[in-house]
Amino acid sequence: MSQNPNSQTDFYNPNVLINLGPSHPAMHGTLRVMCRVNGETIEDANCEIGYLHRAIEKLGEDKTYHQWMVYTDRLNYCSALNNNIAYAMSVENLMGISVTERCMWIRVICMELSRIIDHIICVAINALDLGAMTVFWLLYHWREEAYTMIESMCGMRLTTTYARIGGMSYDLPDNFTERLWKFCEEFPRALDEVEGLLTSNRIWIDRTKNVGTISKEDALKFSITGPCLRASGVDHDLRRDRPYYVYPELDFDVVVGSNGDVYDRYLVRLEEMRQSVRILKQCNKKLPQGPLWVSDKRVHIPEKLEVYSKMEVLIHHFKIFMEGIDVPKGEAFTCVEGPNGELGFYVVSRGGPKAWRMRVKSPSFMLFQAFEQSVKGGKIPDAVAHLGSVNIIAGELDR
Amino acid sequence: MRTSSVAPGAAFVSRQESFNTRLKEKFAQGRKLEFDKLAEPVLWVRNAEEAKTLVKAMTLDPEFKCDFLSDITAYDNQDGEDGEQRFVLVYQLYSTTEKIRLRIKALVAESEDAYSITDLFPAANWLEREVFDMFGIKFKNHPNLRRILMDERFTGHPLRKEYPIKQREPFKDNIQFHLGANPLRVDTETAQSEK
Repeated sequence: MSQNPNSQTDFYNPNVLINLGPSHPAMHGTLRVMCRVNGETIEDANCEIGYLHRAIEKLGEDKTYHQWMVYTDRLNYCSALNNNIAYAMSVENLMGISVTERCMWIRVICMELSRIIDHIICVAINALDLGAMTVFWLLYHWREEAYTMIESMCGMRLTTTYARIGGMSYDLPDNFTERLWKFCEEFPRALDEVEGLLTSNRIWIDRTKNVGTISKEDALKFSITGPCLRASGVDHDLRRDRPYYVYPELDFDVVVGSNGDVYDRYLVRLEEMRQSVRILKQCNKKLPQGPLWVSDKRVHIPEKLEVYSKMEVLIHHFKIFMEGIDVPKGEAFTCVEGPNGELGFYVVSRGGPKAWRMRVKSPSFMLFQAFEQSVKGGKIPDAVAHLGSVNIIAGELDR
Repeated sequence: MRTSSVAPGAAFVSRQESFNTRLKEKFAQGRKLEFDKLAEPVLWVRNAEEAKTLVKAMTLDPEFKCDFLSDITAYDNQDGEDGEQRFVLVYQLYSTTEKIRLRIKALVAESEDAYSITDLFPAANWLEREVFDMFGIKFKNHPNLRRILMDERFTGHPLRKEYPIKQREPFKDNIQFHLGANPLRVDTETAQSEK
């Protein structure tokens, strides 16, 4: 190539590299995409990840099962509750513990709440990236409401650490039913408003229709899961296909799109929020009374009052927290339908209080790999729309 | 499947059970078939090459149709609990039509190469890169076998058991932070000796 600055060949250089990220407002977290562009069309893309790698899997082998709970918050920090519960579930599966009825219902409420929050973030930020600020304000108000509700449950908003192996750290607060009811009544109105603003909006349709399309075959080949897979037209939802807890008793629809573009992903997420509200309403009605904790002595964290007044209970408390719980030898791959897709914990135990291998199968990892392929052929502004719509969370991607 | 998370009476349980018996008849000859805590089948293949052929057979099999690759990972078998070789390579397969799971495991020695399945599942690309990055298992015929999470200059494989969790590896060309007019001296020597 000519070095002459006035040369026309340089102007029409088909090999211009454009670096998106790792620190850019339109990149959701520390993601980096190196694009080779021809004009404005992305001809080739190369994703680089690992900027947020914190050795969470290695720490899983170093911390006790209990201590590692806090790290699950930092995986997908938009839906920490979901990760907490999925992890608690995987250790319970290893130990053969069956949580109580009330605990199951509370966990389903938590998972659906966190799904709503995650979808709010995805839709709102995606719209924000494309210039629709109003949607952001409308939806984020409800995200705050949901977080306030979560705060009343466990005292924390973002990094919750609500679940415990064998139960939950706290029971629901007294007025929770009313609050949840209010949320379920009022939040869908915000969704209606958003739908009115976006779904038939000419600008939104132009920016999102046939953008970032992932075909059904590609979605399966690239192991995409969750709303993005469903938007591509694959009817797959672990809540229905391999149900856990009380999902079979609940009435909800699996939302399936057809085109697999940004617009379909937006529609799927919007409808999934409605379905989650539907689930929450049923949970609110059916939530049973009863014990929150399993009676299993191996994992049951004693009541604080008893810890301070009884010697044996104090010793038991210390045993659980200082030594950790003894998980028998074995392994289990526990998957839940997280907001972004199939979130799996593959735990290999060789006995003792620490895991031998703690594998986190994160949906974002697969999504970003597919993004690298499907971004090709689009324009750079399309890449931003596409990235927003798949909702990649760097904490989960890099672990 | 008597554990907590599985919903009672879920339809997939019976399907998985009948799949397990069929698997025993059809694919378990000469191989070790185990069941994990969730009664999901774990099929041990004899070597890494067979892992690939079995994954392919499973995707094409009209009865099982394991058309979905959930995960590829590995774990260190340093204590020799699972066999003589150093690593265990794990493939998690799923069938989107039959809603069943299957785990295929292969023992891989430290000097041995595994076989890439990127030609069967493009999703395996990054997963195999991660296994390479974390354990140092090389994959034959992989299109782009580079480190993925760690820096390319990084030495060692962090998820091997002998890798110390507090080992630090700073790179020389990192840009120094501007620490103000009178910066406190950062004593790197003591920080090094602490680990």
